[in-house]
Amino acid sequence: MPVAEAVAVGQELPSLAKELTQRRIDVYSGVRPRSIHTDEEWARQKGFRTTLAQGMMSTAYVSEMMTRLLGAGFVRGGRLSMAFIKPVYAGDRLTVHGVVKETRPEGAGTRVVVEVWCQNQHGEKTAVGTASGLRA
Amino acid sequence: MTSFPKLTYELLTVGEEFVSDTHLVTPEDIEAYAFAVDDHHPWFSGPSPFGGPVAHPTLMANQALSLRHGKYIVHAGLHAKMEFNFLEPVRPGTRVRSRGRVIDKYERRGRQYMVTEYVTEDEGGTPLVRGQFTQMLIPEGTRHAGR
Repeated sequence: MPVAEAVAVGQELPSLAKELTQRRIDVYSGVRPRSIHTDEEWARQKGFRTTLAQGMMSTAYVSEMMTRLLGAGFVRGGRLSMAFIKPVYAGDRLTVHGVVKETRPEGAGTRVVVEVWCQNQHGEKTAVGTASGLRA
Repeated sequence: MTSFPKLTYELLTVGEEFVSDTHLVTPEDIEAYAFAVDDHHPWFSGPSPFGGPVAHPTLMANQALSLRHGKYIVHAGLHAKMEFNFLEPVRPGTRVRSRGRVIDKYERRGRQYMVTEYVTEDEGGTPLVRGQFTQMLIPEGTRHAGR
């Protein structure tokens, strides 16, 4: 899979769209009782309207976006920091966004720093953070 | 024999350590994860710049996140923050283990949080991923008002 040919500060990365089906959440988290991710009744008892996706799924989506941008320079040398600011529910549709905010020399290459966020189908941000990786 | 007390904010100690069991990363793990996150990158099952298949970088994150379950019964919780440093790719056939240490606990706006730093290593002790995460504790008998 080719990586991006050019990277510039201010560049908007191609967004990703992800459907958070219960089946994918089940596989990600492992089905068990008394889990807010896979037990709908338990999630309601804990104050949520239905089951929630793990926040970690959003980090996987950002990781995918960064690997598309930087390839091996994210798989080895990548960094990712995210805060989960709103629950993501089963049935939600997320879009994953990134904008290059900095490039700086590191070793023999360049570290590319990207502001990243996930947004639900209502336009609400659910996770925000920063990701970076190395470009040869 | 390990006993499993219920995790409470009061019981949790800054500095306490966790260790996971060793897990053999299989091609099936990688395939299932690809399905779960709907990412089917060709490096997960074929050649890659690392000389063979590699897993999604975040594959083993749940091993780290679940470290406290090896010591406590966890009533419920929410993940608040996550940091990764991807040092080496995770390859199928590798046996991996995560170790963690509680580096902070705090209460904010009536909610309780714990912060854990962790490393995921291969069987030779080579660090593959380092990072830290912040988890909110939802005490037994309480509800979390969904935001």
